[in-house]
Amino acid sequence: MLAASGTIGRRWISTSVNSVKKAKTRKLLDKIIRVDHAGEFGADRIYAGQLAVLKKSSVGPMIQEMWDEEKHHRETFEKLIVEKRVRPTVLLPLWNIAGFALGAGTALLGKEAAMACTVAVEDVIGDHYNNQIRELMEDDPEQHKELLEIVKKFRDDEMHHHDIGLEYDAEKAPFYNALTQVIKIGCKGAVWISERI
Amino acid sequence: VRRRQARFISVTAAKFTAEQRSEGQSSENSAKEDAQEAQYEHDIRQRILSASLVYVQELGWTQKALEAGAKDEGLPPIAHGMFPRGGAELVHYFYSKSNEELAEILSADVKEAEAKGEKLKTQTFIQNAIETRLRMIFPYMDIWPQAMAIQALPQNAVDSWTNTLNLMDEIWYYAGDRSTDFNWYTKRMTLFAIYKSTEVYMLQDKSADKEDTWAFLNRRLKDLENIAAAKKSCEQNSDVFKEAVKGFAVMGRNVLGFNSRDR
Repeated sequence: MLAASGTIGRRWISTSVNSVKKAKTRKLLDKIIRVDHAGEFGADRIYAGQLAVLKKSSVGPMIQEMWDEEKHHRETFEKLIVEKRVRPTVLLPLWNIAGFALGAGTALLGKEAAMACTVAVEDVIGDHYNNQIRELMEDDPEQHKELLEIVKKFRDDEMHHHDIGLEYDAEKAPFYNALTQVIKIGCKGAVWISERI
Repeated sequence: VRRRQARFISVTAAKFTAEQRSEGQSSENSAKEDAQEAQYEHDIRQRILSASLVYVQELGWTQKALEAGAKDEGLPPIAHGMFPRGGAELVHYFYSKSNEELAEILSADVKEAEAKGEKLKTQTFIQNAIETRLRMIFPYMDIWPQAMAIQALPQNAVDSWTNTLNLMDEIWYYAGDRSTDFNWYTKRMTLFAIYKSTEVYMLQDKSADKEDTWAFLNRRLKDLENIAAAKKSCEQNSDVFKEAVKGFAVMGRNVLGFNSRDR
């Protein structure tokens, strides 16, 4: 293993064709998987926070069901992180605390507020996944077939959660408009920064 | 001026392939043409960089080495204009290519160990990996301090940081790390500290075949193991610790009078 290092000026022969395109695709995948993992991790913590407060209420079982799906999403992205050698976002500890605080905080305002939080977050995530699907299709639909399947399925799951939230009287939450706006802006900011660091 | 030179070079280079270009490009083709041109420019840059490394010993990590390399490749010396940051690009090229080579070596080692059914000891693996990587610098040892200084400049900070982080990631990945949480960072940062200190030590090491450096590296890795073991024993003692903290909290409240009914 301790291969004798080369003499000075050893020529490395560039064997990769289309290395520029490959580098671009690599950056895109890196960004997408990092931010998706951060998102699912955050969602996992939000539902954990909500369940901590609302476990014994009427929406408890529903929240548990949605939480289990988010856990599955997070595990999928963790597998992708290892498979594609992606760097996870450095803000994970922050999202850990912030997600739990958001979930518990909205749940303390009542179960309608918790549902409103779900609606807001899933709305942002749905748009976000749609954008990613567009980016992946633009880059190389063939190469990213597997990832596209995963993102599409997860987008459908998140939209389902969004609809469940509305079904469970999210709109009856106090200050529904203001609450959802603030949460949406927060989520968009989190997405923006997790894509970068 | 440098950017204009770079643009001039790439346009001139593109003209060399004029016969390969079709006339009357449609919009669908022009995106493909752009991609091809970008790839062509990239390939020329790689050739020049590769050819320039021979001149680094005498000319340093500088624009002059790039000029000499360009001349070797049959390109006009002005081709150094393709590299606006001059010597820094040469350092970045050398660093990233060395990282790639290390990744190949480590991957082969891991496969070999798997085939034989052996389990690699992490500390030994990491030590060998760092040693292999540092040995790649040997041919450039005299001129390496200049490279380190170039990497420390703020305009090169992003590139050098990315290179080093990639290197740490390669080593840990092949050593078996599969973490997906914040441990990803703590592991790589600790290894970064070890690698950097060993690299600096190596610069002033005058022993035969740098054996003092490898001993230094071994001691640093042992330190890391000791810290991990200490952390483990701390966790096992955490109940005692928690009780102690609670005790101090109660004492504090007593002193401040919060536990008294007469407050």
